[in-house]
Amino acid sequence: MRRPLLILSKSAAIVLAAGAVYLLAEREHAERERLRAAPVELTPACKAKLEGYALAPGERYRSPYALKTLGTPVDARGYSEADVRAIQRGCNLIDDLQGQLASRGAAERWNATRFVRGSRTSCDHCHQGVGDKQDAEGHRQVGSLGLGASWAMADMYDRFTGLLLSYEMRQMQCFINSSNGFKPNAADDVLRDVTAYSRFLSAALDLRIGNRYPEQGIDEIPASATLRRGDDYVRGAHLYRTQCSACHGPQGHGTVVEGKFAYPALAGPQSFSSDSRMNFAAVNSVMPGFICRNMPPGREGSLSNQDCRDIGYYLSTLPRPAGDKQGPLAAAWQQFMMTVLPPLAAYADGLRNRHPPIENGDAAD
Amino acid sequence: MARNRFTLLAAVLGVVGFVIWAHLASGFPVFHSHVAAEPGWEQFRLAYSVRDFGDDGHFVRAAQNGYNVFYFTYRYAWRFTRKTALDAKNACASCHRAEDLAYAFVNSDRYDARAGKRLSFEDQVMRCFAEHMDGFVPTLYDPTVRDLRILARAVAHHLQLGEGALNAAAQ
Repeated sequence: MRRPLLILSKSAAIVLAAGAVYLLAEREHAERERLRAAPVELTPACKAKLEGYALAPGERYRSPYALKTLGTPVDARGYSEADVRAIQRGCNLIDDLQGQLASRGAAERWNATRFVRGSRTSCDHCHQGVGDKQDAEGHRQVGSLGLGASWAMADMYDRFTGLLLSYEMRQMQCFINSSNGFKPNAADDVLRDVTAYSRFLSAALDLRIGNRYPEQGIDEIPASATLRRGDDYVRGAHLYRTQCSACHGPQGHGTVVEGKFAYPALAGPQSFSSDSRMNFAAVNSVMPGFICRNMPPGREGSLSNQDCRDIGYYLSTLPRPAGDKQGPLAAAWQQFMMTVLPPLAAYADGLRNRHPPIENGDAAD
Repeated sequence: MARNRFTLLAAVLGVVGFVIWAHLASGFPVFHSHVAAEPGWEQFRLAYSVRDFGDDGHFVRAAQNGYNVFYFTYRYAWRFTRKTALDAKNACASCHRAEDLAYAFVNSDRYDARAGKRLSFEDQVMRCFAEHMDGFVPTLYDPTVRDLRILARAVAHHLQLGEGALNAAAQ
């Protein structure tokens, strides 16, 4: 008599637990639906960007940029209100992944920080200009990781992963390596909204599927693009101090301006992982290409190829989180170095400040 | 001791034999890195400027597999198309042209009033299999879905379509 009762009570407990999980999932689902239908509060950069491209619900979309550059209007299919909201949310994600500008909290960014380990990463640190970097005359910046052009060239073979990378899988790579985090599901709202925004940029810039545009990806700088064909650590460290440390900090840990992480960490626990393509030690032509085309902000193109390679080489020697491919020993070593090196480097900097270097040998005269 | 050696040798020979059979004699596409050239591929390739290998051979092979799935769905994606062996053989090309696929691709990721949500190109492909083919839904990561998307990309590139391009012929 007791045995059937036991079985019955166990079955009831399982059904109740499954029911509770189901109800919880239903509630989360309904919350997501509510967020999808809610009006979007744009960040200032997104407001300027999307207004400039005349994004609005309608039957037809006509890009002001295409009209200006081509001289003739290009009509495309318009966007519904739900599409416009997705594009707006995608833009917000690129501009403010950490949700520091979100007035209604992290849910406004789909809690995207759950895919990022540090608290200082935002997509627009690499994809500048909210994924569409242009100069004052409206020319698109070469090698600026433009998202619209990236969408136009998605689904191509990727030499790093050995896969035909869809646009969603490419974004997953960004989360895993550049943000040292975790990959969202391909159907997650984070990826869907970023894709919607990227596709809108592609329409606004009148890009054609499968064409290569100069702003797509990084304008890589291999060693053969320099005269010396060798990379100099000491020169890189010097250049970093004079050209980069004012924004990225003396140890590359990034800086905070008005409560927002304005300049990303290039080393330390908040940085991209060793598996990232930005890591010079993994791929030595990507980081120099990014620096030369995009750094320092406002003075892009002021550094020579050799400068960029030397800075990239120096940065590769700083400790950063190990990537997934490197295993637990490398991870432990990097963790140890990230803990030990910063105070030692700060102490060394203190010594240097106490005994300033002799300039041009004047003191010896 | 001798028996152990014999077992080991037999196991090694078995593995080697299986590999040789799989690559050379099985005829299963899963064991081949190349894609079978089905009738009409050469004409299609020339008509839509898909070069033999192009700059990206992987992309071209995926496009070719997409072609096979599109025109010979009952052979290359049979597991998604029919519930029973008695059902009719269908192919994507029974309803769509390659151009339709390209226009659907550049107009995807939009709100669909019937579904009540935004549908990606992959969602639409899945719906086709589930509804029009009366079959089963492939996963988002299935090569069938991926290669149909890549085929759509190849055709869209040939037609030089941009996002949201309007199909004048269909209007």
